Amino acid sequence: MASNNIVIGIAGSGGDGVISAGEILVNAASSDGLFVFMLKSFGAQIRGGESSVRVRMSSEPVATQGDKLDILVVLSWKDYLKFQSEMLLEDHVVILSDSEDSFSEENIPIPADKLKNWYKVPFNQLATNAAGTSLAKNIAMLGVISELFNLPKTALEKSVKKKFSSKRDDVIEKNLNALKAGRDYVKKEIEKKDSVLFEYTPGDPRIVMEGNEATAFGALYAGVEFYAGYPITPSTEIMHWLSVYLPRYNGVVIQMEDELASINAVVGASFAGRKAMTATSGPGVSLMSEGIGLAGMAELPIVVINVQRGGPSTGIPTKTEQADLMQAIWGSHGDAPRVVIAPSDVEDCFDCTVLAFYIAEKYQLPVIVLSDAFIGHRKESINPNRFRDLKYGFKKINRRITPTEKELEDYHRFKITKNGISPVTWPGMEKGMYQAAGIEHNEKGFPSSDVSVHSRMTKKRWEKFREIKREFSFERFYGPDDAELGVIAWGSTKGAVKEAVARANANGIKVQAIIPQILYPFLIQPFHDFLRHKKRVIFVEMAYAGAFRRYLRGFVRFGDFGVETVSYRQTGGAPFTVGQIYDKIVEEYEKKDA
Amino acid sequence: MDEVKYSLKDYKSDLKPIWCPGCGDYGVLNALMQAFVKLQIPPHQMALISGIGCSSRLPGYINTYGFNGIHGRAIPLATGVKLSNPDIKVIAVGGDGDGFSIGAGHIPHAARKNIDMTYIVMNNNIYGLTKGQASPTTPVGEQTKTTFYGNMDEPINPVRMMIAYKASFVARVFSGDPKNAIEVITQAIQHRGFSFVEVLSPCPTFRGVEQFKLIREKVRHLPEDYQPTDEVRAFDIANDNDFIRLGVIYRQDRPIYTDIMRKMQQVSEKMGKPEILNLLKQFEP
Ligand SMILES: Cc1ncc(C[n+]2csc(CCOP(=O)(O)OP(=O)(O)O)c2C)c(N)n1
Ligand code: SF4
Repeated sequence: MASNNIVIGIAGSGGDGVISAGEILVNAASSDGLFVFMLKSFGAQIRGGESSVRVRMSSEPVATQGDKLDILVVLSWKDYLKFQSEMLLEDHVVILSDSEDSFSEENIPIPADKLKNWYKVPFNQLATNAAGTSLAKNIAMLGVISELFNLPKTALEKSVKKKFSSKRDDVIEKNLNALKAGRDYVKKEIEKKDSVLFEYTPGDPRIVMEGNEATAFGALYAGVEFYAGYPITPSTEIMHWLSVYLPRYNGVVIQMEDELASINAVVGASFAGRKAMTATSGPGVSLMSEGIGLAGMAELPIVVINVQRGGPSTGIPTKTEQADLMQAIWGSHGDAPRVVIAPSDVEDCFDCTVLAFYIAEKYQLPVIVLSDAFIGHRKESINPNRFRDLKYGFKKINRRITPTEKELEDYHRFKITKNGISPVTWPGMEKGMYQAAGIEHNEKGFPSSDVSVHSRMTKKRWEKFREIKREFSFERFYGPDDAELGVIAWGSTKGAVKEAVARANANGIKVQAIIPQILYPFLIQPFHDFLRHKKRVIFVEMAYAGAFRRYLRGFVRFGDFGVETVSYRQTGGAPFTVGQIYDKIVEEYEKKDA
Repeated sequence: MDEVKYSLKDYKSDLKPIWCPGCGDYGVLNALMQAFVKLQIPPHQMALISGIGCSSRLPGYINTYGFNGIHGRAIPLATGVKLSNPDIKVIAVGGDGDGFSIGAGHIPHAARKNIDMTYIVMNNNIYGLTKGQASPTTPVGEQTKTTFYGNMDEPINPVRMMIAYKASFVARVFSGDPKNAIEVITQAIQHRGFSFVEVLSPCPTFRGVEQFKLIREKVRHLPEDYQPTDEVRAFDIANDNDFIRLGVIYRQDRPIYTDIMRKMQQVSEKMGKPEILNLLKQFEP
């Protein structure tokens, strides 16, 4: 069964180097021009504990981590148990495990028919013999699987060298020895009884990024100048990355005492004329909501990244979910417009962040980017050239408009204009002095509790939405327009939906999907276009209460279009698989035919 | 200062204060504007930041850049402004409730980071704007709208607290003693680092008109030879129960946050400011 698309899962304890092995593999595949996708999963332990990775590589573009594993590597059975429900196995799965693992065989939770292709390999011993340390067992393991399944070889060596490049030469040497020992072991000791083989032609090297890195990079690209934040999983990598790079561009990164402080510092920085942002997760956004309202009232541009995690309250910090939609759109008090956009993969994390700054600066309001752990923490390979030719180029990115000399003669900071946008000044500018406030104010900025002032100013603030809706329309459509069955999803479920729709269409099942990027303000027209031929639509979301479906139903009268709606949702933790969504599509498609 | 370019009227805004007649905050407004005149700070080179409360209305009455933010968050808001533009004089103002109750978590951090700003708290021992509830500085036993049977909570001593937090400038003044208030506030604004000034600023409406008199009887200026650099002595002064001491109680010179920030930027500048797209190198496999 030679294939150009392969899914490998590795599970073990923290000390086994599972994640490093996954990263080395991903880098090797990317430098050979393959499309890669890597998902990490780990327990709540700070160090050690169980960890796993799933790496999919293919010479065709991939949008998900793949449903089931072609290859499972178990460095410790005890730790594998924790991931059983996340790591589903193909019937033809090949299993490799450490022959020195003392876990008793009768307790191995895998049905016998899937244990046909099981190799027990002394990873530990191979590493100790070749490198003098069992620490290199993950590398020996990579040697074994690369030989056994024809994974990129020269590239793998290069990747190992790179991984240890900061270490002493003998460390690199030892690891290369371990790699070779793994390969030699296969040649000498293993008689291949399985049929899994990877087949590919190398292409131009690709780069590898994690969603949170792409978000941070996008922010820098958009010209962020100020970042204030407070650590929270799964968003913190954004702050880590900016802490390294933002100061090099004269920007400021400050770790505040909490989220209340972070958001207010961001608002303060924006008041001082800077492009400012913070990143957090749902619990942090809860604390920030008063400050987000302040930015709305003071009409100051800010960007807030919410890398959503699982569950209410502290929930499951390391796992994913899409349940903060309503919080993003409505989570503040009073009528306070903000824009909500949702990235759907790693590249999109970059694009959405750039877009967020563009919108925030141009329209002087808060923009919330709804990322999640699933995209924030995964690695994808990307064509580096895509960054050189972008819709919102660095130079083209707006900074808020400032008043003309004439406008400064009688400056009205909150001047009511046709599109709601008024020129803004900041401290240091000689003539534009004004008062910003969370309290209702007139056009000059002076406090007012006059109801007519309030209604005029409220209208002004919302007027911006009209133009935003005119300027943007970013929906992705997959599948034929005239399909009668539709799928509506948002954010990180895109990958699974996209692949499931492609699979269905290839199998003669006509279905089309729509994935919006801007969630709020809501753009009705694309949905109306989408619904023209539809008889039934499935809403896919990783949120138990189905907020997305409820939200859309507030804008689109599906009934008026004669469209039946079906909700397909699950709680997070494990993201949707292509198979799950495909099966749902088939189920609904058959109902429609009946 | 050779030439007086800015006079009181340059600092006065078009807005009339809505404070009650006799409110101590008028004195603070006046002292602050007098200090600006003394220091000749160009109005557009300042940012006055506040939270919410009667006292937090103050920025609106001064002709400069101002931000009347949300309850308790003046300090982080001011931090964002200062770090974004270190050349601007940043002054945060507010009440005792705003600062020591809802916003209490922020003060130690601005103090320890030594953010170069002045923080003026108008302490009236009560919540004014919400009409008379106990504040964190209300004395034990006092009846307020929320302490019908007498306040049971030990009050905060702001000066002692700020010394403990390592604020690099800690002072106390009385809004009924303008000369001293102007002098000390001027020094606070000149101080490089986080300067804190507690202003005893009575609320005749909810604490009674006699509060002015009671304070006047208890306050004393610090002795002529007082050295504010001695932390132990400063604590003694803060703990004095017989008299309420006015003046600069504690002061320390240490690097300010923006100095440290600049140093860090210099170190990182040495590593180069790469063309943004060159950063893609780090993502190469
Ligand atoms: C989050 C939040 N909680 C409560 C309030 C109501 N509130 C407004 S001012 C205030 C207290 C003000 O007291 P203080 O800070 O001492 O100022 P003063 O009015 O006495 O000058 C309160 C509780 C609010 N605006 N926001
Ligand atoms: S209520 Fe008290 S603090 Fe508020 S304005 Fe009136 S006197 Fe001043």
